[in-house]
Amino acid sequence: MMSTSKAEDWVLLAYRLPRVPSTPRSAVWRKLKRLGVGWLSDGLVALPADARTREQLEWIAEEITDNGGEAALWLGRPVEPTAAVAVADRMTAAVAAEYDALIAEAHAAHAAEPPARRRAVIRLRRELHRVQGRDFFACPEGDAARRAVEHLAATETAAVRP
Amino acid sequence: MKWATRPGVHVDRAACAWLIRRFIDPAAEFVFAADTTAIPADATPFDMRGAALGHHQGRCSFETALAAFDLTADPALEEIGRIVHEADLADERYDAPAAAGLDILIRGLTLTSSSDHDILAITGKLFDGLYEHTRRQLITGRRPA
Repeated sequence: MMSTSKAEDWVLLAYRLPRVPSTPRSAVWRKLKRLGVGWLSDGLVALPADARTREQLEWIAEEITDNGGEAALWLGRPVEPTAAVAVADRMTAAVAAEYDALIAEAHAAHAAEPPARRRAVIRLRRELHRVQGRDFFACPEGDAARRAVEHLAATETAAVRP
Repeated sequence: MKWATRPGVHVDRAACAWLIRRFIDPAAEFVFAADTTAIPADATPFDMRGAALGHHQGRCSFETALAAFDLTADPALEEIGRIVHEADLADERYDAPAAAGLDILIRGLTLTSSSDHDILAITGKLFDGLYEHTRRQLITGRRPA
């Protein structure tokens, strides 16, 4: 009922923020990075449009204008579908790399002592949730990462049992 | 009084509406408008871009409202502020494990409710319960059974 956007709609944030002071600039950059936006060009980022992504970018726009910058939010659809595919592919490649790093860490943690392994499970589950939050296109590595972390957790449980 | 916010309410707006009705204005009337240019002249906007009761200095609208309404002396409201912040922004500024569940519950409600007023009626009770739970936990130092 809330979302009126179609799947091919994107929400775009066009922004300019002074280079100095650098603190608000890097704060905005970190927030965009955490959201997993696609970078179209300098000062133009995009996310697949829904109620949540739109609101997230709205608040970042507010933060930019609060800090003396300019920000405008747009809803758009690519004229050339291949343009959107290219952006989506870059976004997917970025989360795939994060999932791969998680898988490698989960494998490495099997060799750790039980207490360290338990801490690794907690940390990797958290990190997995973070990455899943910016995985907009059901990246196949996501399932492998989830299984790698849960496999580590199962080993953990098995080790604790007599 | 009239209070205005964007339609399609989620956790931050639901929490603000509860706070307003319970602590500020029991007769509060909520209206919904897509942006600040569309709100009635006699309404106070919240959780909208450009509103004083919005996201500022990294705080969510509920946290801004706590400060604006001078309610920060209530530790239970401060704790709910941390939960709403994480449910809304998930930036890990606070450790608030309840946030993930609250986010999902309210997103689910938006799928099954027929209007924003309906959602606010349910989330009002939800936040009453969360407030009571948080308050008792703070008094006794442990979770109420």
